[in-house]
Amino acid sequence: MTFDLQRIIESKRAWRRALAQRPVSEKLAMLDALRDRTRAIRAAASRLNVSSPARPEDGIKR
Amino acid sequence: MSIARVIRLINQMQADGVVERYAIGGAVGATFYLEPVATLDVDIFVAFRQQPGEIITSPSPIFDYLTARGGIIEGEYIVIAGWPVQFLPPTSPLVEEALAKAVTVEVEGTPAQVFTAEHLAAIALQTGRAKDHARLLQFIEAAVLDTRRFQALLQRHGLVERWQAFERKFLQGES
Repeated sequence: MTFDLQRIIESKRAWRRALAQRPVSEKLAMLDALRDRTRAIRAAASRLNVSSPARPEDGIKR
Repeated sequence: MSIARVIRLINQMQADGVVERYAIGGAVGATFYLEPVATLDVDIFVAFRQQPGEIITSPSPIFDYLTARGGIIEGEYIVIAGWPVQFLPPTSPLVEEALAKAVTVEVEGTPAQVFTAEHLAAIALQTGRAKDHARLLQFIEAAVLDTRRFQALLQRHGLVERWQAFERKFLQGES
């Protein structure tokens, strides 16, 4: 393992490409799981009375 | 909770004649072409069957149909299979075209109608919020756009200048 930033960025790109090439049904199932997780994090954040994490719809959506 | 169930119900709604045509847009639509993008809702663009003499189309038939099948209305959304779904009419010639030219993608044997990658990218450019720019960059980085079709879309819908500004801002120095 190294802290070669260029390699880290390239590795992230490769991972995203690999995800993009998964079957659509698998990717839609991932969306289901992502949404569950986001809701759980928000609920936990509100219980802790901390500011809510960035909303996905404020990031990359629609 | 399952988007696949949402798609099956919307297909049934179309088959039953409630909407003439539908297409998935937004983050869920983009996920057909890109890596999954976290989102909390599903955007479905719909063309309604217009009744003679009707000027304003109402989403009531959609809401009536879906609530009779377990959907729950929450503000502008209707929750189906755990997902808030928003039904949107086409609000520009670009979105009208996107709806007319939506493609059918099989999801485990279920047909799903979704905007083309080029239309999703052009709509992102037209909408122009920070998150839309991020989406557009994803499309470019993933190299899923047919350049000729995308450029033709930009020409047809008066988006060339906006595209050039986007290129200058975000793509300068990219190979």
